[in-house]
Amino acid sequence: MSEIAAAGASPAWRSRLRAGTETACAAPDARRLLQLALAGIWLLDGVLQYQAFMFSKGFSDMLAGTASGNPRVVASPITWDATLVQHHLVLLNAIFATIQLLIGIGIAWRPTVRVALAASIAWSLGVWWFGEGLGMVLTGDVSPVNGAPGAVILYALLAVLLWPADRPGRLAPFVAARAVGAPVARALWLVLWLSLAYFALLPGNRAPQALHDMIAGMTDGEPGWLAALDRGAASLVAHQGLAASIVLAAALVIVAAGVYLPAPAARGTLVLAIVIAALIWVFGEAFGEIMTGGATDPNSGPLLALLALAYWPARAMTMAPARTAPAGAGEGMAVS
Amino acid sequence: MIPSWILDIFAAIMLVVAAVSAARLVAARPWQHRTRPAALADIDVAHLLMAIAMAGQLVPGLQTLPDGAWQVIFAVMTVWFGYRVVRDAQVSGVRALAGGHCAPHLIHAGAMLYMFAAVSAPAGHGSGGMGGGGMSGMGTLSLPFLAFLFALVLVGYSIWDLDQLSGPGASGHYSLAAARMAPTGPVLAGVGAAAGPGATASVAVAGPVSPTVVAETAEEARVVPPASAPADGTGVLAPWVATSCRIAMGVTMAFMLIIMI
Repeated sequence: MSEIAAAGASPAWRSRLRAGTETACAAPDARRLLQLALAGIWLLDGVLQYQAFMFSKGFSDMLAGTASGNPRVVASPITWDATLVQHHLVLLNAIFATIQLLIGIGIAWRPTVRVALAASIAWSLGVWWFGEGLGMVLTGDVSPVNGAPGAVILYALLAVLLWPADRPGRLAPFVAARAVGAPVARALWLVLWLSLAYFALLPGNRAPQALHDMIAGMTDGEPGWLAALDRGAASLVAHQGLAASIVLAAALVIVAAGVYLPAPAARGTLVLAIVIAALIWVFGEAFGEIMTGGATDPNSGPLLALLALAYWPARAMTMAPARTAPAGAGEGMAVS
Repeated sequence: MIPSWILDIFAAIMLVVAAVSAARLVAARPWQHRTRPAALADIDVAHLLMAIAMAGQLVPGLQTLPDGAWQVIFAVMTVWFGYRVVRDAQVSGVRALAGGHCAPHLIHAGAMLYMFAAVSAPAGHGSGGMGGGGMSGMGTLSLPFLAFLFALVLVGYSIWDLDQLSGPGASGHYSLAAARMAPTGPVLAGVGAAAGPGATASVAVAGPVSPTVVAETAEEARVVPPASAPADGTGVLAPWVATSCRIAMGVTMAFMLIIMI
């Protein structure tokens, strides 16, 4: 809140007050805004985890189902975990939901942002294994269109990239580079999007009806308009599995390489990444199937878009060497 | 089925919010103000009513009014906060939607109206609306995408409030400290002076007396004699109290919308 010297209650104070209200909120920097978006998704996840379905046997069955097709060393702990959850369903699911709720709140509450981000990394890795079967990436039955490599691992990646620390004296060309440095951030981006391209070309996804069936399969339980949208999209790619896979993989490779391009071209590829994420979210993931009442998260679409924003080229950001970024803030950064 | 004890916890939180909001109203005494008493009290009244309504939705035993009555109440509330958002936007521009405090309440009121208007009781639960069915009976909402959108926006505002409340520059209705009030002389006073959460700008009046006071919008700031300036925003009137209530209600409302999809 700014304090404004007003010369009496003249009309002039109205414009001055406008200036005051415009500075009413402490404007967070870009990294903090992305952290808040991540916090919002965690909070949403926590709320979703309280749904009635999660307190039913369907939830433990869903967990157990992720063991299928995975190597024994991966599958056995999943089965053990699913059995444990089944035996203590109400208590454990309430704890799961509360943990996610607290992670979201913790990231949003500045003094606890580091603790919450660290907890989110640990939690994400645990859920990626025990809840998503490592995103099913080892089964060969996975596609970027329906959430590979597992939405929850993207939470961990975002937490690392948005960690509230700055590398002293380095230039950060984008937000994701501030904590880990540009080379590491670019390498992580490359690995992620190239892996998505690889998944798109898996034999199961190249089959003529693979993409059609995947999209058409999302219509169950969805509102009529969304089901119609999905059916329309599915009909567009009917019998086009191979061509669709190649086009998608090519686009994903372009996105993967984009962060190594000059800023204008990089922005173009990031826009492409956001468009792909949006298309995946709407048509491939049906908004994470949240409207069916059985979703545990909004799936990978919003997280891929959030990642792309973290790589958006900005003016060179110089880190003040003597300062470390306060929790959740970007105060250690000067934009040059 | 969602365990009833989880719904009980959320209902208990709402009852706490209702009690705090009632205490704020009593402490602020908006009825003693000659001009714009509604603008002084609207936030706390909204919190009070919404918290009572939500507690009743969560636990059927806490129902107070029929669903139709709540629909009317929240329709009026939606119109009122819509009007205030427009007034804020005229002063602050689109920033009123993010930095102002009326926009979140408009969303809250709209979400409540939607919840009462769009709910259908589970089969076999008669005509008691969502409350009659009880949340553990999973009354469902029509237009689930709207519920999803409302939940997203509510979560967004709650996260934003948490960030602002804990930020280094927290002030006004995000301030953890007491609101600053005019000690002497004619001053500008406004909603925030009385109701805490209304404060979004501090105005120092030039002249012999230059106190710092809090006004929500230009329209609500006015010259008042010092005798009529309300007590300072300490204790239950501290701005962060109202913001905390709003966060609790936002999260609870998002929870209810999602579990009723």
